[in-house]
Amino acid sequence: MFWSASDVLNCGSPVQTRLGRVVCVWLAVACTVPCALAADAVHPTELDLPVTAIEPAALAQQIDTSLQRAWAAAGIVPAPAADDAELMRRLYLHIVGKIPTAAEARDFLDSTAPDKRAQLVEELLARAAFATHMASVWRELLLPGAYNNPETVGLIAPLETWLRLRWAEDTPYDRLAFELLTARVQPPGGMQAVRAPASRASPLSFYQYNEFKPESLAASAARVFLGVQVQCAQCHDHPFARWKRTEFWSLAAFFTEEAIIASAGVASPGGVPGRSVKIPDLVPEKVVEAAFLDGSSPDWSAEPDSRAALARWMISLDNPFFARACANRVWEHFFGRGLVEPVDDLDAAESAPLAPLLELLAQQFAYHRYDLKYLVRAIVATQAYQQSSRAAADDPDALALFARMSVQHLTADQLFDSLVAATGYRERRVRNQPFNPFEQDAPRAVFRGRFGNQTGRRTEPQTSILQALALMNGRFVSEAADLNSGELLAAVAEAPYLDTAGRVETLFLATLSRRPRPDELAEFCGYVQRSPDQRQALTDVFWALLNCAEFALNH
Amino acid sequence: MARDKKLPGWLSVPLSRRSWLGCTAAGFTGLSMSGWLEALARAAENLPARRRSCILLWMTGGPSQMDTFDLKPGTANGGPYHAIDTNVPGMQISEHLPRLAQHGEKLVLIRSMSTKEGDHSRATSLLRTGYLPQGPIRYPTLGALVAKELGDRDSELPSFVSINSYRLFAPNAFGPGFLGSEYDPLLVGDAASAVAAEQEGGQYELKVEDLQPPASIGPEKLTARLGLLGSLNERFLAEHRAAAAIGHRIAYDRAVRLMRSEAGKVFDLTSEPDSVRDAYGRNRFGQGCLLARRLVERGVPFVEVSLNGADNQALGWDTHTDNFEQVRRLSEILDPAWSTLLAELSERGLLQDTLVVWMGEFGRTPQINPNGGRDHFPQAWSTVLAGGGVRGGQIVGKTSEDGQEVVERPVAVADLLATICLALGIDPETQNLSNVGRPIRIVDAAAKPITEILS
Repeated sequence: MFWSASDVLNCGSPVQTRLGRVVCVWLAVACTVPCALAADAVHPTELDLPVTAIEPAALAQQIDTSLQRAWAAAGIVPAPAADDAELMRRLYLHIVGKIPTAAEARDFLDSTAPDKRAQLVEELLARAAFATHMASVWRELLLPGAYNNPETVGLIAPLETWLRLRWAEDTPYDRLAFELLTARVQPPGGMQAVRAPASRASPLSFYQYNEFKPESLAASAARVFLGVQVQCAQCHDHPFARWKRTEFWSLAAFFTEEAIIASAGVASPGGVPGRSVKIPDLVPEKVVEAAFLDGSSPDWSAEPDSRAALARWMISLDNPFFARACANRVWEHFFGRGLVEPVDDLDAAESAPLAPLLELLAQQFAYHRYDLKYLVRAIVATQAYQQSSRAAADDPDALALFARMSVQHLTADQLFDSLVAATGYRERRVRNQPFNPFEQDAPRAVFRGRFGNQTGRRTEPQTSILQALALMNGRFVSEAADLNSGELLAAVAEAPYLDTAGRVETLFLATLSRRPRPDELAEFCGYVQRSPDQRQALTDVFWALLNCAEFALNH
Repeated sequence: MARDKKLPGWLSVPLSRRSWLGCTAAGFTGLSMSGWLEALARAAENLPARRRSCILLWMTGGPSQMDTFDLKPGTANGGPYHAIDTNVPGMQISEHLPRLAQHGEKLVLIRSMSTKEGDHSRATSLLRTGYLPQGPIRYPTLGALVAKELGDRDSELPSFVSINSYRLFAPNAFGPGFLGSEYDPLLVGDAASAVAAEQEGGQYELKVEDLQPPASIGPEKLTARLGLLGSLNERFLAEHRAAAAIGHRIAYDRAVRLMRSEAGKVFDLTSEPDSVRDAYGRNRFGQGCLLARRLVERGVPFVEVSLNGADNQALGWDTHTDNFEQVRRLSEILDPAWSTLLAELSERGLLQDTLVVWMGEFGRTPQINPNGGRDHFPQAWSTVLAGGGVRGGQIVGKTSEDGQEVVERPVAVADLLATICLALGIDPETQNLSNVGRPIRIVDAAAKPITEILS
């Protein structure tokens, strides 16, 4: 039977109040690296963690209060509020992974409803595209770089489809993690092909991507779901991480059931399947028992299935890392950086200046049954999120404390979906498949190959020369900016009810999700009107809009 | 007041080696500072005003050391090839590399490569990134690492150009990994599309994808478009001084310069005399080597040229069958291209600043299989260095009479890569912040570079 934190919380168990207070043994170990540097002047100081669930708006307010204290302490003046157009585009990109169409942009900007921002958030969260976008984001986490490799590209669709279906049903995050970690692995030889058919939803891509290796599965699971890095300890005791080799292999031991080892196609690692493992290449030989990272051992009489035992421990309320890791990643998705960095390495979280804020977010996330939409509602309701990204000077301190919005690169999927929205391109889709791995020449596949090599923060420079060449001269934009093949462009150029200003304005709305400013309107209308062939001149305007930094970035 | 109280370094900026070391317990830093550090200091002293460049000749599939640079003629495993003298006494190489034999004084033959990986994909990753694939860490390829250290954002040309790369073995071993798209190689001649074009009977030319707009967009229209684009970007940049926005502008500037300027003409090989083009060999590898010379001449710090095979094979050096015929034909492509490259670099005064590296992902078995082929063999094989930063005319290490094992001076992958770094004037222990948040050295700290060959 499935048991999860959300179930417990739903029953109103007193365990609710424990999360914020539990001090795990494994957190008590002091980390030497950043403590000395944590300037207490920017520390938002102790937050009084609420002992019950609070509404998104209340959480947003607490976050803002806390950040404001940090800004004041650091002497940072926060950025002004974003205008409607700026916020709208940002919300679209973060929540549904693409910019609004020209019509959607116009409707929102022209709306006089006082709560139109909040309405937009609810409207976007209700769209199927929210689940699709989150699936794309989590797929990249679980299968990093999968589309740059023909051996792994086929793993994308089954996992993305599975994630999308789970999120479309609002599956709580702890349940999703539990299902992924306990997915049934068939021993090879049966019907389970080397890779699942693209049309099938399956979390097994995660296992295939990790080649069914216990050590890879353990390291990935710890990184993705707990935000801790253990893989450095795979081969040796790491000098600056707390994890030792024994602890690493104790974790890997949970992934040594017979079906997994058989699928990996390697000799038995030694030890009892699922219960213990022999550390490879170690003299003298050493077999370690499966044990959780906090050193405790599973109660096999209560849960004989090894991966289920591990998954239960991971999502347990006694394990604060699970909620923190997810809350931090969701925050990073919206702000371009985590409350605690690096997001994959929360070992040092205790001493990070904004750690208490993450604790608050994580705790409320758990109180709300690990509902991703709750986190999204709270985060986008903060003043911090609704600040402008405009700044005349680079100021890392302001960005690190979220005193203004960062300028972020689009993911390959965000960029492609935005180009689709802007140009009216009609993507051929296999039924319910955002991506058909067998169509390597499909524009989306080409984009994922060329724009998918992004690592590190999205706020760092990520544009390559090849990407610039592809957007300027490549087939997709060239066709979009051609009167014969560009759907939207042709419609704008032909529309009898539009004058030049109206055409330019529509092209701006379609690409930058805002109306041109007066100086821009004058410049671009002037350019078109001066041209001997005004329709041709419109293609130049559209081409420039599709290539400009404002289009390529989320700001 | 408290404004000048900076946030902790790790929170606001990517780690440099210095800041990392600065905030770490001294415990693990004091290691291995002796041997190579001295070599680095020496390399720095010798470093000319002009920065060094590296040309990597990548032999896709794993070339046979027994039939190129470590022949054992007359032995059971020797095969039919003869060894010929080079212009360096005692240094012999394959009879099918006669022109290269005239450049022995430039070559350092490393005959004692000793690695542990015999799978194409994993070995390709190992040789090209220095690390075996491990979990989610996306190790950068050598070219990206060098481009980051030696490249110049303001230069007209990209810092990393990859020619004829056959990437399907291990795509991530050809990319910038955690260094990010800024260090993406400029791809010239995609091997897969080249094979397709030639199979269809089309003439294949080395070119940069999307370097020119569609034919319908003339120069005037392009200028007009770029004018509008510049105007939009200028407005946006004025209001958004952010790293991502600045990076976007830099990439576009560099792309536009390539499209429009003289610099872009570097890719047009028709400006070279026919005699030169002929000397390199009228094939993709030969012309790729010519392009590599043109690129380093214009200051590009890293160029790689892959020799994937004769007859458009993708895995030419993977000679499980018919090894001797295949290696002969590959040698006939390799020999003129490589020797002309060395000769031209030397004549133009570029060789002293240009390190030329020849390697594949592993060697091949000494024993000849029933199909007349040789199989994967990482235990004892050869690589070759020449030019900038190394003293030529040397042989490093030795294999046993039967070629089965290294008997002298084993060289591991990290040792080779650290040597390459030092020859280029790069500290091999330079750390970069990885995608998993840990700093990772260009080369593992345990590396023992071959300091005795450094000049």
